[in-house]
Amino acid sequence: MKKLTKALAVLSMFGGAMFGTQALAEPFKIGICYDLSKAYTFATPQVSQAAMDLAKLINMKGGIGGEPVEVIVRDHGNEPQRGIECYSKLSREGVFVFDTLSTPVSLAILPRAMEDGRILMQSLVGRGDAVDGTVFDWVYPIGPTYWGQAANDVAYIKQLNDGDLSDVKVGFVYFDYPFGQEPIEILETLSEKEGFELELYPVPLPGSDQAGVWSKVRRDKPDHVIVWMLGGAHVVASKEMKRNRIPMDKYISVNWLNEVDIANIGKEAAKGIKRGTNVVGGQDIALYQEIMAELYDKGEGSGPIEKTQDVFYNTGLAMYSIMFEAARKAAEAEGLPITPTSYKAGLESLEGYDANGLMAPITVTAEDHGGGGKTRIEMWDGETWVPQTDWISEYTDVVWGVVKESSAKYEQ
Amino acid sequence: MFYRLSGVHHANYVSDSRIFKVPADRNLTAFIFLIGLAAPFIIPSLYLNSYMLPWLIWTAAALGLNLVTGWAGQLHLGYAAVMAVGAYSSIHAARFGVPWEFALIIGGLTSSVIGSLFAFAALRVKGLYLALTTLAMQFVMDWVLTHSPAISGGSHASLQSPTLALLGQEITTDTGFYYVAFGWCVLVTIFMLNLKRTGLGRALVAVREKDFAAAILGVNSFYYKILAFATSSFIAGVSGALLVATFFFLAAPEQFSVAVSIQVLAMVIVGGLGSIIGSYFGVALILLVPGIVNGLVVTLSDGLGTQIDVETLAHIPNAVYGALIVIILLIEPLGLGKLYGNIRDYLMVWPFDQFKK
Repeated sequence: MKKLTKALAVLSMFGGAMFGTQALAEPFKIGICYDLSKAYTFATPQVSQAAMDLAKLINMKGGIGGEPVEVIVRDHGNEPQRGIECYSKLSREGVFVFDTLSTPVSLAILPRAMEDGRILMQSLVGRGDAVDGTVFDWVYPIGPTYWGQAANDVAYIKQLNDGDLSDVKVGFVYFDYPFGQEPIEILETLSEKEGFELELYPVPLPGSDQAGVWSKVRRDKPDHVIVWMLGGAHVVASKEMKRNRIPMDKYISVNWLNEVDIANIGKEAAKGIKRGTNVVGGQDIALYQEIMAELYDKGEGSGPIEKTQDVFYNTGLAMYSIMFEAARKAAEAEGLPITPTSYKAGLESLEGYDANGLMAPITVTAEDHGGGGKTRIEMWDGETWVPQTDWISEYTDVVWGVVKESSAKYEQ
Repeated sequence: MFYRLSGVHHANYVSDSRIFKVPADRNLTAFIFLIGLAAPFIIPSLYLNSYMLPWLIWTAAALGLNLVTGWAGQLHLGYAAVMAVGAYSSIHAARFGVPWEFALIIGGLTSSVIGSLFAFAALRVKGLYLALTTLAMQFVMDWVLTHSPAISGGSHASLQSPTLALLGQEITTDTGFYYVAFGWCVLVTIFMLNLKRTGLGRALVAVREKDFAAAILGVNSFYYKILAFATSSFIAGVSGALLVATFFFLAAPEQFSVAVSIQVLAMVIVGGLGSIIGSYFGVALILLVPGIVNGLVVTLSDGLGTQIDVETLAHIPNAVYGALIVIILLIEPLGLGKLYGNIRDYLMVWPFDQFKK
């Protein structure tokens, strides 16, 4: 027994020595802790492929400040516990910029990132009030929040009705959990302000049964339906709409509607469907063409080429263009190696940056970590997406009112 | 060999009802306890903080579920919901200014009340029907959480936990959090070890084996079922609160969803119903193996220099992990605890059992 005890003690001390010391690594790294196996798989493969492609392209051009960049992709299965594990592990390996693309995991990491002083990027996910940089020092939800996006959808409806919403009825179909419930507050505030009637239609998860919802929509006859659902739920919704003879052009989706969903609905059947979007879709983009020429044509792409022909690939390119641009600015201003503080300064010095032509220009400041958050509405014409509006960012005062109210609660 | 039986005689009831009947068991437990105490000094902080700590808290929680499912034989599919009740009530109490010691107890008691109230309704049915009613409880809780901003903390449904402070001492370091989790897990383990040899434990087992037979023997089966639910809910409540206070730092509904309930049940079943050491193994397998296998697969593919795309890479560990569970349950349907028991029994009489054959 004694011998065994001794042996084990020695062994564990040795183990401690082996695992304990890890020096900070040289290249600039981004930790991509994504859900690649459970709920978010409709978007994460495309986004992470975009990140890896972009990193390769930057390295081919000599990296940032002469140093190569690296993206580390790990799976967390949308479980907060594994997300924290991923964060803790990578941050000990010298990573200080993280992205999760999952609301539950982003929420779980947030207190740690705030405590440890690491950058948590959370474009499109997580708590929307994190755009308030005065409260959330280390969190950057660059791009539009769901709140801003919902407000822009209302602004679009207002445009259609010549600036008068008083006898308009807007339906809101949403997943009945935090992701879908988020915009309700904004919509209710705007409904009071603009005088339109708002009807709420909660959809129980996972959204495969929407029969009751859409027959209710048929009875209530709203003029537009704003939809906050993901993936396959769009296909179910479109079937129910057909059954209830609701025209497709009433449907205004959140940005999570992609080419795969359109293919599943049917290209013809989907005609008229609208979505709010935060990035430029399609392949007619200089950066995309460059990646094709430099990587995929030489067989060096990070995955199948089909995945690049997807709006979420463009979303990924936009998100990571911003992250690398911030790193470049940080290296320029304060030299290498990039530190969390210099990177933060880099992010906050982004001014009118359009993410290589993929986004409406954003300007990040110490107060506004969202950078403006413009979206536009697009319509599917059977072949391609046709923009219906310019890049807009409306009702910012209302959105910021809700942001401030909510972020104040965090501080308590 | 290790578990030497020679010289161990039980001549009276007191000796026969000892927790550790074989000295080797006691020594081994003491040794593991010491390792647990020394862990912050010998285990790197990453492993302490993202493996050991959740492992210990989940073990405490799984032991609570084992009490109601393993000992009293009542299937429970709403365990995460009970943990949520404890977590949210403790955090609200702590935010209100109640000291954490009391906040934790308040969390435990609220869980206990709600858990046993629910059991009152649910226990009119048995077996699979009970499983379904408890599942319903989970869905009711999920709905309540996502629809009451007052409880869940606003439109993002995340409630910040105040800094944990026990006995007037603010706890902010990894080591501190670890010791809190360790202390709670040890407490629950001691309770469960003792449960085996009390009248309550025997009554629960009687109820599990055949509740009306137990009733004929004078064991009020309904009372004991409620008691089992109340006790396990208390453990669940405090574990849930500690999980948030020491690990998540904020409570969100996803942390206590139906998937989590099923995971805890899987921990108990893979570990072994009614086995204490099995709960430790079961939690390790269900909670930690996915992450570890994930890391191994990534290192392996990096080491071999293969270009596997990230999505496949993410799914291989899931397949390995699933296969592992199936293989373990095929080898020993009674779980990992029994697997350990087999090894122990073998070594106990080694090498003399060879003569029998």
